[in-house]
Amino acid sequence: DLNFIERPAGMAPSEEEEEEDSEAPVKAKRSKPDEEVVYQPVKLSRSDLYRPPTAEELSQLKETESLFHCSLLKMQMEELLREVALSEHRRQQIDSFTQTVTELLQAVPDSPEVEVSDLSWLSGAVKIPFLLMPKVTKGKFHMAPPASVDLIGSYPLGTCTKPRIVVDLAVTIPADVLHPKDILNQRYPRKRALYLAGLAQYLASSSDIGAMRYSCLHGNRLRPVLLLTPPDSSSFTVRVHACPPPGFFKPSRFHPQRNNIRTEWYTGLQTSQSDSSEPPTPHYNSSVLGDLLPRAHLQFLSAVSSQCSAFAKGVALLKVWLRQRELDQGTGCFNGFLASMLLAYLLTTHRISNTMTAYQLLRNSLNFLASADLTVNGISLAKDPDSTPPLAEFHSAFQVVFVDPSGHLNMCADMTACTYKQLQHEASVSMQFWDNPSVDGFHSLLMTPKPMIRTSDHVFHSVSLFSFCLTSHPHPLVKLQSSCKKLNLLSELMDHSGNYVHAALPFILSLLQQGLGQRVHLLTHSLSPDPEWSVESEAPKHKAQPPLAFGLLLRQELAASVLERGPPADSPKAAEFRQLWGSRSELRRFQDSAITEAVLWDGESMCQKRLVPKQIVTHLLRLYVLYLGTVPSTGEEVSLLVVQAYDDLSRKLWKLEGLPLSITAVQGAHPALRYTQVFPPQPLKMDYSFFDKEKTSRSLVPKEGKPCPTYITPITMICHMEGSGKWPHDRLAIRHIRAAFHINLGELLKKQHNYTCRPCPTHLDVWKDGLAFRIQVAYHREPQVLRESVNAEGLLVVRDNEEAQALEMATIHKPLLTSTLHGLQQEHPCFGSVCRLVKRWLGAQLFSADITEDTADLLVASLFLQPAPFTSPGSPQVGFLRFLHLLSSFDWRNNPLIVNLNNQLTEIKNDFMASRESLPVMFIATPKDKKLSMWTKRAPSVQMLQRAVMVAAESLKILERQLMDGSQTQDVRVVMRPPLDAYDVLIHLNPKQVPLLGQAVDCPAVTFSRGVKTGSVAQSGGALPVIDYNPVTLYLAELREAFGDLALFSCDPYGGTVIAVLWKPKAFVSMPFKTSQVSARSVEVTGEEVNTVPNVEAILEDFQVMGKGLVKSVEARTEKWMV
Amino acid sequence: MAPSKKRHASDQTCVIPGGFTVLPLQFSADSAAQHDLYVKEHKVRAATGSHRPLDRTLFVLNVPPYCSQATVRELFSRFGGVQSVELRDHPGSFQESGPELTEFFKPAEKKGFKVGYVVFQSASSLAAAKSHPHDVPLVVCTEGRPVRTGVQKWIQQYAESFIQPEELQRMVDSFLEDYDKRKVEAEERQKKEAEQQEEDDEGWVKVTRGHNGAKARPHSEAANRRTLQKEIRKKKRKELINFYTWQHKNTQKEHIAELRKKFEEDKQRIALLRAQRKFRPY
Repeated sequence: DLNFIERPAGMAPSEEEEEEDSEAPVKAKRSKPDEEVVYQPVKLSRSDLYRPPTAEELSQLKETESLFHCSLLKMQMEELLREVALSEHRRQQIDSFTQTVTELLQAVPDSPEVEVSDLSWLSGAVKIPFLLMPKVTKGKFHMAPPASVDLIGSYPLGTCTKPRIVVDLAVTIPADVLHPKDILNQRYPRKRALYLAGLAQYLASSSDIGAMRYSCLHGNRLRPVLLLTPPDSSSFTVRVHACPPPGFFKPSRFHPQRNNIRTEWYTGLQTSQSDSSEPPTPHYNSSVLGDLLPRAHLQFLSAVSSQCSAFAKGVALLKVWLRQRELDQGTGCFNGFLASMLLAYLLTTHRISNTMTAYQLLRNSLNFLASADLTVNGISLAKDPDSTPPLAEFHSAFQVVFVDPSGHLNMCADMTACTYKQLQHEASVSMQFWDNPSVDGFHSLLMTPKPMIRTSDHVFHSVSLFSFCLTSHPHPLVKLQSSCKKLNLLSELMDHSGNYVHAALPFILSLLQQGLGQRVHLLTHSLSPDPEWSVESEAPKHKAQPPLAFGLLLRQELAASVLERGPPADSPKAAEFRQLWGSRSELRRFQDSAITEAVLWDGESMCQKRLVPKQIVTHLLRLYVLYLGTVPSTGEEVSLLVVQAYDDLSRKLWKLEGLPLSITAVQGAHPALRYTQVFPPQPLKMDYSFFDKEKTSRSLVPKEGKPCPTYITPITMICHMEGSGKWPHDRLAIRHIRAAFHINLGELLKKQHNYTCRPCPTHLDVWKDGLAFRIQVAYHREPQVLRESVNAEGLLVVRDNEEAQALEMATIHKPLLTSTLHGLQQEHPCFGSVCRLVKRWLGAQLFSADITEDTADLLVASLFLQPAPFTSPGSPQVGFLRFLHLLSSFDWRNNPLIVNLNNQLTEIKNDFMASRESLPVMFIATPKDKKLSMWTKRAPSVQMLQRAVMVAAESLKILERQLMDGSQTQDVRVVMRPPLDAYDVLIHLNPKQVPLLGQAVDCPAVTFSRGVKTGSVAQSGGALPVIDYNPVTLYLAELREAFGDLALFSCDPYGGTVIAVLWKPKAFVSMPFKTSQVSARSVEVTGEEVNTVPNVEAILEDFQVMGKGLVKSVEARTEKWMV
Repeated sequence: MAPSKKRHASDQTCVIPGGFTVLPLQFSADSAAQHDLYVKEHKVRAATGSHRPLDRTLFVLNVPPYCSQATVRELFSRFGGVQSVELRDHPGSFQESGPELTEFFKPAEKKGFKVGYVVFQSASSLAAAKSHPHDVPLVVCTEGRPVRTGVQKWIQQYAESFIQPEELQRMVDSFLEDYDKRKVEAEERQKKEAEQQEEDDEGWVKVTRGHNGAKARPHSEAANRRTLQKEIRKKKRKELINFYTWQHKNTQKEHIAELRKKFEEDKQRIALLRAQRKFRPY
């Protein structure tokens, strides 16, 4: 049956409430055997369909028809919102827990007044969540019960969503603990941290609170928070913020140009600077100011939300969208709070109206994000702009500007311009997908996660940023910065209170942007996650932050260029250019006689050229850069050679003179001719002494006792002959005429071009320039003739049959696919490399027989044609990762995979759904093949697809973990080694007789001479080499024909030396004796009943006998099965 | 793991219910395991043709893939002279397969287990085969009669696949000659039939069933369908659309029904997806 693909399935609606409670039991439940959830075509009775409609129903139908692509989208959104909304049960839990916490907090006892730097009153294990650096600051502190405890943030606003439910609780520090001058020199932040520590110490004794942890808001170490969870469940977290009383500090003290940290205090050095020349501390200012305003923000948002009924739902959708793009968490993120503020901004500026639906809110906010550039033209919610600093002042201090309703705070203070650009890019890409009717907008916008590793073409990690930014650096550009901006960087550091990563990040980003220039569309970086630590341990050092990952989205046409042409030597910009590139920059004279500065990167082959961005990054940052190399290393050049040879041959065929009929078309039908052959054929020259010779036809024959000669792939091409009345209307006669054409073509090619040819009834082999081509003559009416027959009544009937389909596949569909994909390769230069990587993986994991080359190429093509929600892959690595994701997460059961090759497919889903049961499990639709999925008709089977899905998911997990973890060594071959323990019998092959041994994943220990002369390429003429002779494939074919209904045989076609055999689940069931079902079976007689079971001993011996000379040993793992 | 078979008799022949005799067969003298051939006299209700004479034909099941026609002939010649051997993928009646084809033009054969029809020269050999003792296995590959498998066989196959272009051309020519001859014959036959259908002197037409029940020229299925469609189209053209009020009402009703149907379909799709947790964005 087909229902295996609904893996996370099997939940009856009644279980819904209960399963929300915790994650662990959910997983357990998900893995239980699936229930039967199968789509049945809708059957409405006549009375249901034609009953008179009510007015309400009419309007509902009308709305769904006019508002959305189809009503499906509306329902999908509603379902999604239902999934993320908090249940009533959960709300009650949260309310009662916050009630408990509030009561506890109000009973915090007073403590005597001490110096701020005196921590002795903190008895017990609780530590202060603050990095005390510099150690001392002035001021007095004592604990006192909070002035008030209030809910703030998303929970009271109703925009709190699953997963990661966080409830914010603001605890107001009583006014007598603070002093108006506390804003200076981290005094207030330290008092706040102390106050939190005091609360934690008091709460530690209570049994109503589970494990307590510290964290900090958006990664800002100045703003620690206390995380509380109820003791019995961890499904939500209460985040305790300590705040000053409203209006305690004057907001004007926090304007971006003001300084609130004195250099003298921070560095501990006496300076002669006056107060006025102190550098501004905008980030510090906004972090303190942020504490003053949460209540005001809540009031503002509540007022907006009460006006617009869909506000909460709109925010929820926006949050889901952000979350899938990993933009909602970490330092400088665009979190749910900003999302609500954005919607509020759009509502107050009347860009959206109060009556819009959640769907429209989402669409309009994405539209706004895509078009507005907050890095240049900031926006403000301030009501009276006169009393607050102008936007220009914010722009001079921050990269992204979005001012809050009070007019004093920039809510995007920590966001880098790169992050905003990423947001903009995502929004505009999403809008495109939304408007494209052929893309499932809902799925690509809201349901598909976009982790950086699968989004960016190249990803690298910063391992040692620390050495980079503080000390003077050998690199010229950093010198440039450190010479003129050393003070500036120090002040940045002061402003970020010592967090060097955030202080230096903008500089690094601008350096990279400058160096990569036109090569990249987008430069992104990961947002460092908020650290969390137990209340009983010290706050982690800045050093402990995980390394940042940087992602590049390449501009295909420029990314691989080896030349960086700079300004003319005499222009003033030349100096700048030289400074950027240092010693790599040199003066060059170009063909247009211009003499300019230029940098030339190393790059002989396409494989090396692809790494030019890496060279740039390493050069600029001197970082340890982690890249994933491609496995089949250089192949583009060889593929190109093959295509050139093919073009030459087809030209010569066209020009042949003396054929009885003319040629109407010559088409390639081989993966090598669309750049997707894993190991493209290489021109060879044979060593004649290695072979036996067939004298009469001047051909080489493999010699017994020698290693199997090298494998020469025949490159198939189809030669269509002109239609004519002379063609017979009979299948056998056509077959003979084709043979005659093969002979004729061979003779002419020999005579006119001196190619060695070998005609056969089915094809003509041509040995040309060290490559073997296999020409098949085709007659366009032959499939039709094969389909026709005359039945008993003398009626001419046309019936489809396998023979005709196979012929059409070979002579029509394959050449068409080849030329289409060849076109795709011209458009996306890395298409071929992705295909080859993918097919290498499929081969290594023993799936080659099930997911055929053509299927794999089509799957990869779909990644390029419909990249939603991503952009087309720009590097083999990211393409491969996305392929694994596609294979493992696509809902094969319920959806056809549409490969829109010429961008002209319409609705096929309904046809698909109506006849789902009779269609292949893996259904791939192309414009030429909408209803049958001919490429996947035979394979994969349900079981093999299931296994492929599983292995792909596992490989993806391993690869992503390796790639995102900078410390591990990069050996991608881990995912190329299949687990063999699942198989029942292993047939080990003799490496001597495996011709493709050299292509194995792990380089073989011994190599054999295979009759190839190195270093030269054969000229035309000469003896015909051994073409298409591979004992392994011959053996596999014989095994499958003999035992195909008992077992599955799989082998890595690229140098695998093991054939893995898996008994079919029903192979050993005993069957009644039937003359049509006794193959390889022995009988068991009980009374008059005769049953048969497979004769396993004899079968195992047959494995040996049939593969004599090739098989080294047969390893039967009898512990796995019993007969 | 010796297959625990209850052998029928203590005497050496093993006959299972259904009338099949079990003949053990092993690849070579030192093989450890055996396959079983199941043999029985060939018996069908309607005797067709002379290819499988009922009294002399042995029906053999489970012939391993490495046994060619020649090997089977050799194996069974120990029971008496073999007239012919026919190996097939499935049991079934003998099929006349058009004009004679040379080896190179036959479609590739399947190489799995086969069923065989062995025709002996005399009926006594049949009995001898059926009473062959169970503990004396037939041996496929002996010193005097080596059977090539594996790499040896594949190399041989490769070498044998060569054919001289001249020879191939000769095959093609002879086939086409034959084909032309057959075509001319068929034409003449048709002409004769057509003549027969013409009026004789007195205006009578002789109506016959013709050769094989076939008409002079086969009318095709496609042509039938075309005529039918033409009729339907003609009918449609005459029809008036949305002319009467009831027609108009009906179209509206159909439209609503369509919307409803789509709505229901979508709802069901959603229900299905919900059951699979397809709406959880995390």
